[in-house]
Amino acid sequence: MSALELISLVTQALFIGLFLVVLRDAVRNRTRAAVDTTLLFGSVAAVVAVARLSPILFGQPPAWFASLLLLLLTLAPYAMLRLVDDFSGTPRFVLAVGGAVYVAIAALGFALPAQSQLHQLAIIAWFLAVGGYAAIAFDRARRRTRGITRRRMRAIVVGAGLFVGAIVVLLADAMTGERTIALQVLAQVAGLGAVMAFFLGFAPPSWVRRAWREPDLRAFLESSVHLVSVGDDHLAVSQLQHAVAAAAGADGASIGVADPQESVIRYASQTGEWLTYPDDAFIAGAAYTQQRRVIAVDAAAVDPEHAQTYATTNARTVIAAPVTRDGRRIGVLAVYADRAPIFIEEDLWLIELFADHVAVLLEARDLARQAGLLEAREEAARLKEEFLSAAAHDLRTPLTVVLGQAELLERRVASDPSRPVDAAGVARLANEARRLRDLVSEMLDAQRLEQGGIIMDRRLADLRDVVEAIGLRHGDDAAAVEVRAPADPVPASVDMTRIQQVIDNLIENALKYGPGAARPELSVWAADGEARMAVIDHGVGIPEAEQDRIFERFYRASNAQGITDTGMGLGLYICRRIVEEHGGRIWMEPTPGGGSTFQVSLPLEPVRDDVESPADQPSWTPSGGAEAMVDA
Amino acid sequence: MPDVRVLIVDDEPDIRATVSAMLEIEGYRVEEAANGADALRAIERQMPDVILLDMRMPVLDGWGFAHELRERGHRTPIVVMTAARDAARWAADISASDFVAKPFGFDDLVSAVERARPAS
Repeated sequence: MSALELISLVTQALFIGLFLVVLRDAVRNRTRAAVDTTLLFGSVAAVVAVARLSPILFGQPPAWFASLLLLLLTLAPYAMLRLVDDFSGTPRFVLAVGGAVYVAIAALGFALPAQSQLHQLAIIAWFLAVGGYAAIAFDRARRRTRGITRRRMRAIVVGAGLFVGAIVVLLADAMTGERTIALQVLAQVAGLGAVMAFFLGFAPPSWVRRAWREPDLRAFLESSVHLVSVGDDHLAVSQLQHAVAAAAGADGASIGVADPQESVIRYASQTGEWLTYPDDAFIAGAAYTQQRRVIAVDAAAVDPEHAQTYATTNARTVIAAPVTRDGRRIGVLAVYADRAPIFIEEDLWLIELFADHVAVLLEARDLARQAGLLEAREEAARLKEEFLSAAAHDLRTPLTVVLGQAELLERRVASDPSRPVDAAGVARLANEARRLRDLVSEMLDAQRLEQGGIIMDRRLADLRDVVEAIGLRHGDDAAAVEVRAPADPVPASVDMTRIQQVIDNLIENALKYGPGAARPELSVWAADGEARMAVIDHGVGIPEAEQDRIFERFYRASNAQGITDTGMGLGLYICRRIVEEHGGRIWMEPTPGGGSTFQVSLPLEPVRDDVESPADQPSWTPSGGAEAMVDA
Repeated sequence: MPDVRVLIVDDEPDIRATVSAMLEIEGYRVEEAANGADALRAIERQMPDVILLDMRMPVLDGWGFAHELRERGHRTPIVVMTAARDAARWAADISASDFVAKPFGFDDLVSAVERARPAS
């Protein structure tokens, strides 16, 4: 046996093997593409088998036998034409013309004498025309796919080209009758290459499949793993849908999250809301309720009720798989495209795998949420506990003085009623009683804010008045604060009492946590449409890790607790709530060189001249003031 | 009750003044300190018979003061004086002889000091 014969034998054996594999697949999965693939390799396998068997059957094969071989061989291009239709769609007339040409060539084979040149030329032309058309069409289809399907299509394009090339070279060589060895070698090598490429394309071995799938899976995992910690549910599900669609090479993917109690499924829409449907609606609903994958090559035909929806989303083909984990029904994954799947088994495999991953991700999100809730609940309980203990503590200290001083008075009066009262003791008693009152109202404020807000009596005011009044309210403290206010008014619509409360609180903190340090500064100014106030201290500052938390209810900075016993962790919380109810912001940043800077920003009222200033208020609106003077 | 000296350590001036007045009326000799460091200076001048000690104070807190006091070998009785719920545990922490929980009246305060002071 020559090397050439060996190649030929291997090629033929591979074609028969390939036929058997695709036949098995077609039996398992009876799609039109699988049947047409079987037809393609069936024709080639039949040619091989018949050619090998003929010497055994006939010795000297009869003339019609060659025609039969050619009849079988010329079936291959027709099968290819049908495959093109399966993969990317072929105009109907092309298929019809192809069928007619095939019948004509077959008739020609039996009508003309054996080895007729005309017949052979017709066959060559048929192979070249259909083979070229198919190779180009396969390549177009390939470009629209991605991942493993794209790789398999590339193998098929190469296989089709080599196959047509090998047949044409063989036929041309036979026509000349010279049996050129170079052409024979070329044809046999091209044939071997063709069958190997077809194997990779139509029936890739599992190790090739694994290697070809790997990049898609990696891309999906990389783009989805962070979604466990994305806070917003809608955002997380939308991104997961994008990741699935991209990795599956589909036009889109839809993830439905089931609510078994309501018997509904919620889908994340493009526009940012959740769309709720009964849990058996759509093809996805069928997959969910029946807990099995559903393939709808023509979605509108399978589910005519929602044909309109499929049309608007370009979902011609829908593959849906239940998202389930350990028997718990979490939801459903549907992947859709405007074309039928080429290798449905690849898509199914991928989508079921994605559905499993989606299940794991959604469940992980759920667990993370539950853990977060539990943590938040524990934190709230801990804070409440701390609050109660702080509140009790804070009330007990002034109460000690009140009780002690009261008992002292009682004794003194009992022992000598005519003795003059201890003025300092009475002053202490009154002071601590006032402190108790302040603490109790602070606790009530916090409680009221929690339940829906302190009623705001908002009026147009000049914030310079707030800072300038600081001296009036704080007595001795005023000398300890450096006040800076601009020449122009800083108008804002505020509840004056509450805004003063905020500034008082910030000033008290600045003095409390910065004893002995440079004087705190209080500034007010207008900038970028905002009315701003800042309290700058040069005290102990706040540890960076805690800066976000100081505005929380009951939170006290760790380094505040050693300095004073009196804080309840409510002051800054109340400040924040008051400022927020004004539509403003409050924040803290470190003062350069040490200490803290608290800034309050409130919406700046536009300077209006159509509003008359109340007579008892300074008319700070420049033009308004001018008009008032003219009127007067 | 001749010459029982009590050192009151608390960062709240009003508490110090009130407790001082209460003890003085009962005949004790009283000295005040605003925090642990202040108290250490006071005991250097003269060791009291009983120390009434607040726990949470700036500069040097009750724990720091008690530790330093024992380090120096003094066995002076301490009565912890606090508003915290953990008064008993804190008292045990620093091997104090007793505690008195704020708010306290005359009887609580005097009986705690009496129990703590060395028998004369």
